[in-house]
Amino acid sequence: MKGFLKNTWRNRAHVVLALPAFLVLLLFAYMPMFGLIIAFKQFDYTKGIIGSPWNFPNNFKLLIVNKDKFLTITKNTVMYYFIFTIVGTFLNIVLAIAIDQFAFKNAGRVMQTIMIIPVFISYAAVSFVVYAFFSKSPAGIINGTILPAFGVGVKNFYQKGSYWPWILTVVNVWHGVGYGSVLYMSVLAGIDQELYEAAKIDGANKWQQIWNITIPMLIPMITVMLLLSVGNIMRSDTGLFYTVTRNIANLHAKTQTIDAFVLNQLLNNPNYGLTGATTFFQSVVGLFMMLLSNGIVRKLAPQNSLF
Amino acid sequence: MAKEKMITNDPEILRMAKKHKRPGPGQYILGFFLLIYTLFCFLPFLLVVISAFSDESSILNKGFSYFPDAWSTTAMTSVFKYGKQLIRSYGVTIFITVLGTFTGLMLQSMYAYALTRPDFQLKKLLNIWIIIPMLFQGGMLSAYLIFTGWYHLKDNLFLLIVPPSVGTMNIIIMRTYIANSIPNELNEAAKIDGAGDYRTFFQITLPLMKPSLAAVGFMMATGFWNEWQSALIYIDSPKKKPLQLLLVNIQKNIEMLMNSKDIPPEVMAIMGNKLPGNTITMATVLVVVGPILAVSPSFQKYFIKGLTVGSVKG
Repeated sequence: MKGFLKNTWRNRAHVVLALPAFLVLLLFAYMPMFGLIIAFKQFDYTKGIIGSPWNFPNNFKLLIVNKDKFLTITKNTVMYYFIFTIVGTFLNIVLAIAIDQFAFKNAGRVMQTIMIIPVFISYAAVSFVVYAFFSKSPAGIINGTILPAFGVGVKNFYQKGSYWPWILTVVNVWHGVGYGSVLYMSVLAGIDQELYEAAKIDGANKWQQIWNITIPMLIPMITVMLLLSVGNIMRSDTGLFYTVTRNIANLHAKTQTIDAFVLNQLLNNPNYGLTGATTFFQSVVGLFMMLLSNGIVRKLAPQNSLF
Repeated sequence: MAKEKMITNDPEILRMAKKHKRPGPGQYILGFFLLIYTLFCFLPFLLVVISAFSDESSILNKGFSYFPDAWSTTAMTSVFKYGKQLIRSYGVTIFITVLGTFTGLMLQSMYAYALTRPDFQLKKLLNIWIIIPMLFQGGMLSAYLIFTGWYHLKDNLFLLIVPPSVGTMNIIIMRTYIANSIPNELNEAAKIDGAGDYRTFFQITLPLMKPSLAAVGFMMATGFWNEWQSALIYIDSPKKKPLQLLLVNIQKNIEMLMNSKDIPPEVMAIMGNKLPGNTITMATVLVVVGPILAVSPSFQKYFIKGLTVGSVKG
């Protein structure tokens, strides 16, 4: 202990350098963790977090009372996590291999640059692009150009939830796949070309080369990325689920995720009990999934684990 | 693909190499699909540009279209001429982006440097300190109650700048970079020459960290530029609204954006005493995303570097 203090004193300059970021995390990341105790309190804004009386387990009973809402947002969060992860990962890999195999390198680079651009655009702006495609009046591109071409009547997308899992998936792919493929391309760039040469000599065609060399080389990265993403299963991008859907109540059953629900509550006189219990549930499940996934990564690929 | 050098004059081998180079029909099919996907990524932006320059009546009658019946610059000019709020918001966003990125780079690089010091026992705890927030978060609601109830930071730009300026992944990227690319001997040498601990960091390590600063800095800047959620939760007064917030509540803001009494009556008459809502919305979107669209291709390499560096643990 004395040695530790001595060591710290000798490194006092390094302590000072680390201090500002340390404090930012303390004030803006750790304090909100402490704030989760509102899940166990009858929160009253005038009394504050400390002063409000304890009422465990009443807030958690609210989850049961409002179980329709609670189950819907949880189900949506998990459902979209799976759709986005499966579709996104698959397309990331397909795109990475496609660009890697493409012989016209300069054209490939230009196309890739364009494919990455959407990730730089905020969902706040994307929501208007989506509107211009799916609105009913004035008619968007889908209702005005595409559906008439197939002789299909006008669809009221912004009032019918069942379209939105499809729409949001397409928007999510548009926004992120070009960028997501970059990571896999960096793995592909590292594959020893001699493997392909050897396979060619053995008579393997392109598909066989991809199936027997490229895919197996990508598997470790795919596994790690999937496992690490499991920790975020309870989180979702409010940009997609709040702004792109325009937070339209008729769409909530199919589009509202936990984060979108909390944001919506926060902006409209929150039910502190219900929302507090929901965020507590979200944080605890998130922690559990994070520990689980990191534990598995640590077993499979220790160099890729987060801690 | 590895670069092939001319290391032989054997005509047989050269012929084979050339044959290997010539793309087959499969390549054109592949190119076709890549082109389709590229268009899928690009066409939505084109629609924003076209809509911003369409005539309002065309959108009202025909709907959004790549081939509007009539073109007009009314929306763009009105946004620029009467959009005082837009200019104000541009200023706010630039302020947040510049200050936030700068603060973040300083705080995070200092912390990352401390984490890489050999013979610094406290660093184990400091490492744990940045890992925990990645595992467990308080969430929006409790953050809101603490930031407004305890810190009294409602409607304060501080909240848009400082909390997002420290991120675990960024610190890990920088820590990896220092550990792998900056030999500690340089620091030792500087110390022998009489430089103190601070000076060693600011004059030796920090300048050598430039590639990682560029990668992290560009990712952070994009994040600050695109941030809307905290602004929606915390910012009330119009003079503090960043650009993205303007987009989020644009219906309300179209009126605010071009306060009707600022607009000369003859212009109002041309517009049929109605604000051209659809085209102005798209013009605003264009003005907001335009700068990002313009600079992102040239900055992508930093972004890509950040992504690939971040995937490797130090």
